[in-house]
Amino acid sequence: MRLKVSNLSFGYDYRTVLKDISFTLESGNFLVMIGNNGSGKTTLIKCILGVNRVPSKKIFFNDVDITNFNKWIKIGYVPQKFDDFNYEFPITVNEILNVSKYSKVDEEEKLNLLDQMGILELQNENINNLSGGQMQRVFITRALMNKPELLILDEPTVGVDHDNVTRFYRVVNDLNAQGVSIILIAHDLKASHANYTHVMRLDEGKAEIISSIDQETLGDEA
Amino acid sequence: MDGIIAASFLRAIIEREFMQFALITGILVGLLAPIIGSFVVIKRLSLIADTLSHFSLAGLAIGIFFINILALPIGDPLYIGMAFAIIGALLIEFLRNYYKNYKEISMPIVISLGTALSALFISLSGGFNSSVYNYLFGSILTVGLNFVIIISITTVLILTLIIIFYKKIVIVSFDESYARLLGINVNIFQFVTTIILAIVVSLSIETVGVLLVSSLMIIPVAAAMKIGKSFKSTLFVAIIFSEISVLFGLWLSFVFSVPSGATIVLFNVSILIFVMIFKRIVNKKNIKQKQSIESL
Repeated sequence: MRLKVSNLSFGYDYRTVLKDISFTLESGNFLVMIGNNGSGKTTLIKCILGVNRVPSKKIFFNDVDITNFNKWIKIGYVPQKFDDFNYEFPITVNEILNVSKYSKVDEEEKLNLLDQMGILELQNENINNLSGGQMQRVFITRALMNKPELLILDEPTVGVDHDNVTRFYRVVNDLNAQGVSIILIAHDLKASHANYTHVMRLDEGKAEIISSIDQETLGDEA
Repeated sequence: MDGIIAASFLRAIIEREFMQFALITGILVGLLAPIIGSFVVIKRLSLIADTLSHFSLAGLAIGIFFINILALPIGDPLYIGMAFAIIGALLIEFLRNYYKNYKEISMPIVISLGTALSALFISLSGGFNSSVYNYLFGSILTVGLNFVIIISITTVLILTLIIIFYKKIVIVSFDESYARLLGINVNIFQFVTTIILAIVVSLSIETVGVLLVSSLMIIPVAAAMKIGKSFKSTLFVAIIFSEISVLFGLWLSFVFSVPSGATIVLFNVSILIFVMIFKRIVNKKNIKQKQSIESL
């Protein structure tokens, strides 16, 4: 996996949100993005995901220009909120996972993932009966199921209880150790248990990369 | 007395061709309507069926005008009705893109246009007559072989499409943003779905009439979603409710010589009310059980 962002500027209407951002992410890298609200973290993510249309030659995934990219299942994404999901109509966890499966995943792998996420017993539960935290784990399972090479997580542990935060980072760190690259948007770096390799601080659309930093020092500082 | 009526109904089904046509049509519409209706309900587009049926009526009225006044040999007005349902779907799509932040505006505009055109051409064709009445309230007992063939082919085609694209249809319905991330072209998908909806709507008009088409699609689903535990079980229950309503509605329509649309929809609503009461009782029982467990 190789994600390359070069001199990316992006804005909505007349407002520039991202200013000349460049960085490269290699296999196994774990990038944590920090920054205040409105600093452009989510905008940058949306550019990488192709939701925000960027000019050509700005973002490359595995050397393919993102404007021509079509293997989107290689990028897993878990949004911060699931407002767009149409709740209230009955559908079980299993059903939603099965219709979201777009790569070869056998039943055992799926069950393993559910188990890792601690929601194995919920697989036949109607999704509308789940708590916010449980729901989040369903959507993380869904992102992992398609075996992404890059996993993007937007403040994934907001509203999740302590035990499950620990459990969540265990899974993410394991995945990263297996070679999956991670981009994690975090509000509170100290509270995360991420084994990150890089940190990017976004400030008013400008990115500052702090590579290979000592986790302890940054943890105290943040 | 009831036994005699039921027996005569069964005998009519065995002996009379028109009853067989009505039965086949009813069963097929009873199957298609709630399946399409489920996706319409999930996407919160319940009003779209109503809009399309009103627009389709304009086509039917123009068809009657062509046949009765201009004496044009255009065959069944149904075809023009179907074409109008599709035009209505295109109009809605256009307006939904035109008013991006006020998408619902598209519905009243298209409904009004359809109703106005209907009123105009119905009056130009000599006002209310029995065919207009049938289009408004349904006349399942008058469908012919031609219609049975059309609806059979359509049912097979639509069900095949749904089976082939099942995963995509479900994910686009429940989670549009995720579908976009998967690279599914949501806009084309939505467009095709609306066209299919238009076809089903125009075919359902024969069964329950313009004014009641949307209820055939929505009410069984509304009742089923309160009982279903999974998506598939909800769909299954909706189809069962819909088929029960169609069969009993057909029977009542035959016995009392009243429009099939009225009897089918009233039966549907009765099921919905029954489900609501049933749910209330079950919920109360659960709360009581919980309280008695807690007090132990």
